[in-house]
Amino acid sequence: MKVRFWGVRGSIPVPGRATCRYGGNTSCVEVRPKGGAPIIIDAGTGLRRLGKALMEEAFGDGRGAASILISHTHWDHVQGLPFFSPLYRAGNQIQIFARERDTHLEAVFSQQHGAPYFPVPLSAMQADMAFHALTEGARFELGRAKITSTRLNHPWIALAYRIEVDGAALVYCADTAPFTDLLLGTEFVVQAPSLDAPLPPDTAAELARMRAGVIALAAGADLLIYDTQFTLAEYRLRPHWGHSHPDDAIAIARAAGAKRLCLYHHAPMRSDDDNDAILATYQGVVAQTGDRFEVISAYEGLELSLGDE
Amino acid sequence: MKLRFWGVRGSIPAPGPETIRYGGNTACVSIQTRAGGLVILDMGTGLMHLGNALLAGTLTAGPTSDAFRAGRGAATILLSHTHWDHIQGLGFFTPVFVAGNSFTVWGPGGSPEVLEEILEGQMDPNFSPLQTLKNFSARFDVKAAPLDAVFSAEGLDVVARPHAHGATTALAFRITERGEPGRAARTFVYASDVGQPEDRGPDPAAIAFYRGADVLLHDTTYRPADQATRRNRGFSSYEDAAAAAVAAGVGRLVTFHYDQDYSDDEVDDVVARCRRSLDDRGGQAIGLVPAREGDELEI
Repeated sequence: MKVRFWGVRGSIPVPGRATCRYGGNTSCVEVRPKGGAPIIIDAGTGLRRLGKALMEEAFGDGRGAASILISHTHWDHVQGLPFFSPLYRAGNQIQIFARERDTHLEAVFSQQHGAPYFPVPLSAMQADMAFHALTEGARFELGRAKITSTRLNHPWIALAYRIEVDGAALVYCADTAPFTDLLLGTEFVVQAPSLDAPLPPDTAAELARMRAGVIALAAGADLLIYDTQFTLAEYRLRPHWGHSHPDDAIAIARAAGAKRLCLYHHAPMRSDDDNDAILATYQGVVAQTGDRFEVISAYEGLELSLGDE
Repeated sequence: MKLRFWGVRGSIPAPGPETIRYGGNTACVSIQTRAGGLVILDMGTGLMHLGNALLAGTLTAGPTSDAFRAGRGAATILLSHTHWDHIQGLGFFTPVFVAGNSFTVWGPGGSPEVLEEILEGQMDPNFSPLQTLKNFSARFDVKAAPLDAVFSAEGLDVVARPHAHGATTALAFRITERGEPGRAARTFVYASDVGQPEDRGPDPAAIAFYRGADVLLHDTTYRPADQATRRNRGFSSYEDAAAAAVAAGVGRLVTFHYDQDYSDDEVDDVVARCRRSLDDRGGQAIGLVPAREGDELEI
């Protein structure tokens, strides 16, 4: 399969000179099984450019089909959808997968895609759209690709996905906090808790289960894309924001026996030079610890081939 | 009044090497008044950078930044309409997380309750970790801009008028800083996201609203050829903006809200053609100022 990064940024798009090399668009990754329809993970602003590229193919003639796996519906993961050109062409088939909510998924997406926030309602899209609500741990197939998922530690709950096809596995883990300090769900956490206080046993057990689920999902992955919005020091100031850091990502990659770890969901104010420095630091760490996996950092336009092409 | 452009792009932020000269952030313009007040026009992604500059002290040296850091700051926000690109910076505007600061938003729709509910919708837990506006630490008052009366924003006199924006409307604001002995009054008009569903020429009521302004900031999203295929989106071309500026006899015209797909070179072209259009219409005396992220404009 081929993998291409269209948006690598967390929280909010950040145009400007300081972010030109890594890119300022929010989360969006395209996965292309050999000869298959695109599987898109997340619909941040990177989706706009991907949509334009797809219009050069069958989607431009209304003969395209794509699946979009949504990790969660926070803005930076859905805000590109109204600007996805294939939706505006009759005949295209777009199916959207996301974790189930109290309301129907189509209603959730309609809320961002229509008045008073956007001039064109979701119901006016010309393409055929289908919404599939996923329960935690859902497994399903898209063509030859096997999709599995598990829950992440993030406010309002996010899903991680594993895509297995062409003899390779890609795992996408964004957004998540580490599984050590705080259980994030539907409660709003006003203030950062003390990280040194012991956790209630139930919470610790729930987090341990979640961590085991992520490690199992990432077992032997050829590519593990992981939320590293924070540095360790930044994480300690904002553990309740639901994002992780490279030290934690490396621990997960090591436990899972992943072959390549990709730092992802870069903080909005992180400059290209900052990202270079973080990458160099952790490539150094992995070289010293003798870990066998490679550490890379996601940037817009990065293309990787996994397994049989 | 001193303007500063924090976001000049339309519809959706457009990061990339091809947009760094004009900038890729969505609509946000600040006005610093002569008396040291702060008025903000629209809350696109540029608002995040304005907020960061405000707290860092790089917007105004001295009292304003100190006040916002200490939780004694106050500012007024004028909101043209609630499409995403005009509100998506709000959750990232750090001064709202400093207790004691106070913000008043004047926006469209005629009902403060409805407007607040729309802004709440952006913070809905499905979409935002903030979950509700009530998690702001600062005071955040939402008001409906009156359409038939002058209201005051940080000492400036403001008049709001709904303009056609495709099938809906967006507020334009006429903002006057009163004169004093030895200094004339100055007027700035903000008219982003204006565009009639059909080509009917300049709207006489809008022209009357712009009349005699020292500076008119006008939507110049499109070149005419691109506008023709997207007329229903409710944006102007540089021809519309030039025609309005000449008809209203303004002092200077600011181009704004560039299409997200236009590269810097294409925006250069929009600006050059806008200059020629002003000249062809007899507006040789009208100054043309292309809005660029980070630029300031003294009025």
